[in-house]
Amino acid sequence: MILIDSLVVFPLIAAVLLLIGRTDAVRDVIVVASAAIIAVLSIVLAAQYLGAPTTYFMFESPVIDALVPLISIAICATICAFGIKYKNVFAVVLAIVQLAGSLVFEFVFAHGIDVQLSLYVDTLSAIMALIIGIIGSGICVYALGYMKDFQAHEPEGARDRRPTFFAIMFLFLSAMYVIVFSNNMSWMFTGWEVTTLCSFLLIAYTRTDEAVRNAFRQIIMNIAGGIGFLVALFAVVICFGTLSFSEFIALGSLFPSFAALPVCALAFAGLTKAAQMPFHTWLLGAMVAPTPTSALLHSSTMVKAGVFLLIKLAPLFLVCPVPAVMCELVGGVTFLLCSCMAIAQSNAKRVLAYSTIANLGLIVACAGVGTPEAVWAAIFLVIFHAIAKSLLFLCVGTAEHHIGSRNIEDMDLLFQRMPKLARFMMLGIMCMFIAPFGMLIAKWATLISFVETNSFVLILLLAFGSGATFMFWAKWLGKLTGIAGEPEDVELTVHKSEWAALYLMAGLIIAVCVLLPVISSCIVEPYIASMFGVPAQGVGQDNLWIASVLVAFVAIVLFGGLRHSRQKKVDVYLSGVGTDFATRTYVNSMGGQTQATARNLYLEPLFGEGRLKVAGEVICTVLIVIAFIASGVLF
Amino acid sequence: MSLIQTLLGTVLFAVLAPVVGCLLAGADRIVSARMQGRVGPPLLQPYYDVRKLLGKEDVSVSGVDGLYMTCALVFTAFSGGFFFSGGNLLMSAFLITMAALFFIIAAYSSRSPFAEIGAGRESLQVMAYEPMVILMAVAFYLATGTFQVAGVFDLRHPIVCTTWLAFIGFLFILTIKLRKSPFDLSSSHHAHQELVKGVTTEMSGRTLAKVEVMHWCETVLFLGWTGMFFVWGGPATLIVGVVFALLAWFLEILIDNNFARVKWQAMLKSAWIVALVCGGVNIAVLMLL
Repeated sequence: MILIDSLVVFPLIAAVLLLIGRTDAVRDVIVVASAAIIAVLSIVLAAQYLGAPTTYFMFESPVIDALVPLISIAICATICAFGIKYKNVFAVVLAIVQLAGSLVFEFVFAHGIDVQLSLYVDTLSAIMALIIGIIGSGICVYALGYMKDFQAHEPEGARDRRPTFFAIMFLFLSAMYVIVFSNNMSWMFTGWEVTTLCSFLLIAYTRTDEAVRNAFRQIIMNIAGGIGFLVALFAVVICFGTLSFSEFIALGSLFPSFAALPVCALAFAGLTKAAQMPFHTWLLGAMVAPTPTSALLHSSTMVKAGVFLLIKLAPLFLVCPVPAVMCELVGGVTFLLCSCMAIAQSNAKRVLAYSTIANLGLIVACAGVGTPEAVWAAIFLVIFHAIAKSLLFLCVGTAEHHIGSRNIEDMDLLFQRMPKLARFMMLGIMCMFIAPFGMLIAKWATLISFVETNSFVLILLLAFGSGATFMFWAKWLGKLTGIAGEPEDVELTVHKSEWAALYLMAGLIIAVCVLLPVISSCIVEPYIASMFGVPAQGVGQDNLWIASVLVAFVAIVLFGGLRHSRQKKVDVYLSGVGTDFATRTYVNSMGGQTQATARNLYLEPLFGEGRLKVAGEVICTVLIVIAFIASGVLF
Repeated sequence: MSLIQTLLGTVLFAVLAPVVGCLLAGADRIVSARMQGRVGPPLLQPYYDVRKLLGKEDVSVSGVDGLYMTCALVFTAFSGGFFFSGGNLLMSAFLITMAALFFIIAAYSSRSPFAEIGAGRESLQVMAYEPMVILMAVAFYLATGTFQVAGVFDLRHPIVCTTWLAFIGFLFILTIKLRKSPFDLSSSHHAHQELVKGVTTEMSGRTLAKVEVMHWCETVLFLGWTGMFFVWGGPATLIVGVVFALLAWFLEILIDNNFARVKWQAMLKSAWIVALVCGGVNIAVLMLL
């Protein structure tokens, strides 16, 4: 219990210290020390609770109960201040509606409802704590070096907002801990709203027109989700008379007809936070922020809060078909369409964003299916996605500062220009889409769970989405591996803090992929057994072990084998007399010089954003509306 | 137990598949020649070719493509090992995709304009056939109740009786997987075309030998997948599987010799439509009826 308190409070202290100590040197010390302490605390907590049965803590605090409405007011005030400054009426109205709703809820409906066991730890929240504590704080360390370069790239005289930036990053971590440890749904909602506000502030960091516009898009969509959460809170209190999340799940399983509406509303909140269509545009817009923000939003915080909530609701999806079908189809359609749209993108961060949305779609669909096998798959998708995606964002961020572009076509010859970084990026990409790496093993389990539940539509969506996934990752991976001439090595100036984070994430990928069979049998399977009463694992332990060995093999090749070649080097064939083989230049038929270049295939006419985006938004909106009407009628 | 079985299967596949695949490749050339009114090379010509390639100087543009191709071979061997030891069909399908990826990276690494375009097209080919491969595996599961290939021996009739539509879809993408015309977009048997040799433009000597051996192994594996549809009851029925696999192989050669190459748009669209119709309808029928 003291561990939970310190995990929530410690990042807050760090945030305050970061606001006070404003010089680079002081900030370096505070961030590195806090990140280390948070990571250690998370590991200690995980060591105690991973694989153990759920532990609840008796904890009631009038101080916190008083703080909850105050935080809501503060959030509303901040949004209103920005809304007025940048003349966004819609955001102001939504913020006020949400505040009014939450105050009415706190003082009228929730008044007198006590949750005695307001904190808990189970395996899933311990896994989330590890993701937040290790990956999240790793990204904070990375940001130290990155933000120095970022500030140096800013125009002369630009305001240095880095103290606020780092403070918000740590506040974000604290809010995430509140979400994963709170059994009191009112507290969870508060954490939920704090993460919304934090990402708003982080996206608007540069205060350019585009950043502010995208930040408002994010806040509007997520307050809509927050209002969904509030509706769920009202419904839970009215129907079940409790605010305890565990009691709600237990009672909801017994009385599914009462649970349909609150589950639907909570699922809606989860869908907005997890950036599912039609709300995916906020996550695409979020990439205007500095790269550590994107890494944080995509891997360990924000979107993971959305899928965390949905996975927790899995037992209720099993008994409430309406919200379950909504999640399955919205997630499945999002997976297919976003995977397809990623093919047409050449901006690396945009490809990563689409891939995140697609994979979240898969996790959402798994949660909607709700069987033990599906939850197993969802948990591993969360773990592998968090590690691989943070590594990839950090790689792209570092590459951008050293090659001056985030376009995949400009990452040509990265294998030589940034040898270590290119290998990390290759590892991250492979982990995202190909066997024997973790993401694909999890997708495999996903497929099995879809097949066992006869989810015909989901199987089709998964099959075609997987084909598209191969295409957009393979061509990016290929672009990195090219070797020609002897270009200058530009990675010598990368900051130490950036390397530290990159090594951490790459090490984690290999460790978790290799240890997958152990993690499955010692940690995740017992959790599934405690949740559903039956242990489940669709893939088979033998297959997991072979995959584990093959990952080790690929890792050795990638980091050990690709250095020294026994092959004799020769010049490339250019269908003509070559003049400069390093730049692929040859004498053309007119006697002049031509450079041979090749671009990747982007298949714009087939997979461009135009039609697919509209189709996805319409389908998913209709699905959500129908689900709400159906659960409202049932209610 | 099954772990040892898989490893044993992998070793056996790595030894035997190249032999069988080499003979099939030789026979392919003779049959193709007869279809074109020629006599054709000796049966062991592919073996002579590869032996000659192995004797050549080990040169490379990138210096790493040899290693990538070794990885591709290793993954092909594991994929075949999983399948022929009666292991998991999905694992076999996923690992052969990894082998295809290493082949693609090997081509990209040379940074030859021809090889890069070839590699891009090879990725397109994977994207075109992957949905049908997954749907084929799902149809297999629905017909047998397991993803373990050995499950077919417990059946009272071959799975093709209930999955014939998915089988037709699989035959369609088999042409892409075997890189036969009209879907030989990434490379071709003829050196003088718009992409020179496409994916393998910069591969020579030992590296090219590895490509050939991988292709032999792939042929054996995919024909194994084909035969799987016709096996039931016990190991004695394997002979039926072999016969139908050889028929499918002959059909592929016939198609190869009678069709001109299509554009990638036609390949992608037709493969996805076939997957949707053949795979989708078959699965729907198995699930819902």
